[in-house]
Amino acid sequence: MLKKLSLSAFVCFVGVALFAQAKIKEVVTSDYNRNSVTMIVIQRGDSYDSATASAVRKFTPSSKFDLNNIKTRSVKVNKLRSEPVTQTEADAAVGKVGFAREILAAIFNRDSKGMMDDKTVRYRGNYDAKDQDVINARAARVGEDALGDLGQKLVAGSYIVATDFYKVDRQTDKKGNVYWSVNARAFAYQIGLGEDGLSEFYEKCWIYEDDNQATRDAKIKAFQALDIPMVPVASASTASTSSSVEAAAGDCLSGLITGLENRIANWEVAVAISARKPLRAKIGTKEGLSNGARYRAYSYSEDSHGNLKSVARGYLRATEIANNSGMSAGDTEPSEFYQISGIANIDEGWTIKQSNDLGLGVMLGVGGGIFNSLRLNADYLVRTKTNGQMSYILADLTMDLGKGSSASSIYMALGYAYGLHLTRFFEIAPYLMLGDDYMSASSYSSGSDLEDTARFLRRSGFVLEPGMRATVNLAYPLQAYARMYYDILMYNSLSVSYDSYSYYNDRAPSPMNHHSGFGVQFGLKWTF
Amino acid sequence: MLMTFSAVSASAQNKDRRKSFKSWDNYEITTEKVGVDGTKFVKVWGFGKNVDAATMNAKENAVHACIFRGLPGSATAMSTPPICPNPDTLVSHEDYFQNFFAPGGPYLAYVSMTTDGVPSGTDRRKVKGGYKVGIYVQVMYDNLKRKLEADGIARKLSSGF
Repeated sequence: MLKKLSLSAFVCFVGVALFAQAKIKEVVTSDYNRNSVTMIVIQRGDSYDSATASAVRKFTPSSKFDLNNIKTRSVKVNKLRSEPVTQTEADAAVGKVGFAREILAAIFNRDSKGMMDDKTVRYRGNYDAKDQDVINARAARVGEDALGDLGQKLVAGSYIVATDFYKVDRQTDKKGNVYWSVNARAFAYQIGLGEDGLSEFYEKCWIYEDDNQATRDAKIKAFQALDIPMVPVASASTASTSSSVEAAAGDCLSGLITGLENRIANWEVAVAISARKPLRAKIGTKEGLSNGARYRAYSYSEDSHGNLKSVARGYLRATEIANNSGMSAGDTEPSEFYQISGIANIDEGWTIKQSNDLGLGVMLGVGGGIFNSLRLNADYLVRTKTNGQMSYILADLTMDLGKGSSASSIYMALGYAYGLHLTRFFEIAPYLMLGDDYMSASSYSSGSDLEDTARFLRRSGFVLEPGMRATVNLAYPLQAYARMYYDILMYNSLSVSYDSYSYYNDRAPSPMNHHSGFGVQFGLKWTF
Repeated sequence: MLMTFSAVSASAQNKDRRKSFKSWDNYEITTEKVGVDGTKFVKVWGFGKNVDAATMNAKENAVHACIFRGLPGSATAMSTPPICPNPDTLVSHEDYFQNFFAPGGPYLAYVSMTTDGVPSGTDRRKVKGGYKVGIYVQVMYDNLKRKLEADGIARKLSSGF
């Protein structure tokens, strides 16, 4: 019995210890430095190689990255393009090339004689320097020359992103238009070079002007023999469709980078809030910040054992973006933000960290009005202002199966909403939507009829819907919403064109009975 | 009665201050880099009921370290000995230092914060009873030394000859 108890206690202790370790590891860092990337394409030896390579070559990642101009831009995997390249296959292909050596050669401007310089490193150090670095440099005897040295730390933030394009399909619609669908996967690798490795590199490979020929030869040989690994850190997938393989592949790339950003903590921009009312932080175009970009706020605390903890405090969105693309002079212009969730007011000194989302809200609700059925709505955040005003593009998809009716309908609408935040928890948004209520006999048919414009029009009733939406945060990104609206069914005045619609709606043995009138809808919204 | 209560409260605060003054040694300080001539550039931690109080405490700690503890060395800077190496100096000149480190006291002339804005990120921590902050400060070390020598607290180098 005692043994059992001891064993249980031990298991509990180990569990708690592991849990505690996990908690300690979860501390969100408040540091962020620029990283550098090189986009590589994985080639399969087929006819799509040139198009995919061209798409990758033309792609420029966000301005938050420095670019390493290395020689090798492709690796080869002998596998049919109908199957994706696996992580193991990508690792093997990347491992065959000395990417780390090429990255060092690019960063240190290595020439054909093996001579290197630190111009790029010093430039990057100066460019990455924050206001605190500038102030620190001014307070130190070494002065602002120290800023260039900061570039040494950035070498470890060098990545390559190997992109694979697979399942490339050619499709043709009924009008003969050709389009291509492409699936893509990216594998990110970080240079496996710490501070010690960099010191060793300087010691063994750096050629000085006064080195004799034998020393030079030895250092060139040492450089060629460098065996620095590229460490796999994350992968991401996406897909796209476009009019050409190159365009579809190109469309995938920004999505891949966003996917990797969400998986590589070092790529997520982190900065402190520098002011309140409005919320400000010293990031901007240099960090690739854009209007509506979502960040999450954290404060820090210590427990009774002195362990540091980060506490999530809510989300905020970027509003006014500062152009900070020059070198820091100690007085960087901050960008502005608006807090969209969190019980506490975000305070000066708290860390905010990039937390990408699509800005896409999906709403599912029930209610009355023209349609007595489940309604699926979506909104896409277009613009955010510092005072909490937000612009949305709206979409609505409602299927009315018309219980007992001789017809069913599908309603699709697009619109615009202008959100006003009374508090960060509560938003009201007047909106206007214009939609098409398409009638079909019995159950809904999937739309081949849509190509027959005349038939489509005869079965369609256009609906104008002015309304007001109110949204309240439950546990962001989950929100509850209510909509009040007036549906104006416009077919009556044009009944000659809308004969089939009016038949199914009004005159059929069991009509749908969609009519103008007030409606109210309640539901839940989730923001992705 | 109110006046009596105020007097008792002030007396208790003074007692607390004197008590904490004598045990004033519990803080962290690191030398950041070699400061410009006549200064020391350090990162120092302070504690207080709010961020402002913790920041003031950190400034006091920086000056205290220069006078009594000395500054530790780092990868980029040598260590610095204390201006007053004699451990009895604080006790023997307690009234002087009570005045020197009083809120808004003369010590403020020898320290300036070089943190950009307010303490932020992991340098601003909520702890039991208040905040713990880490700030970058520049201590006017040479000026401080001259002041203490002039006031007869620190011995001049030439005094031994």
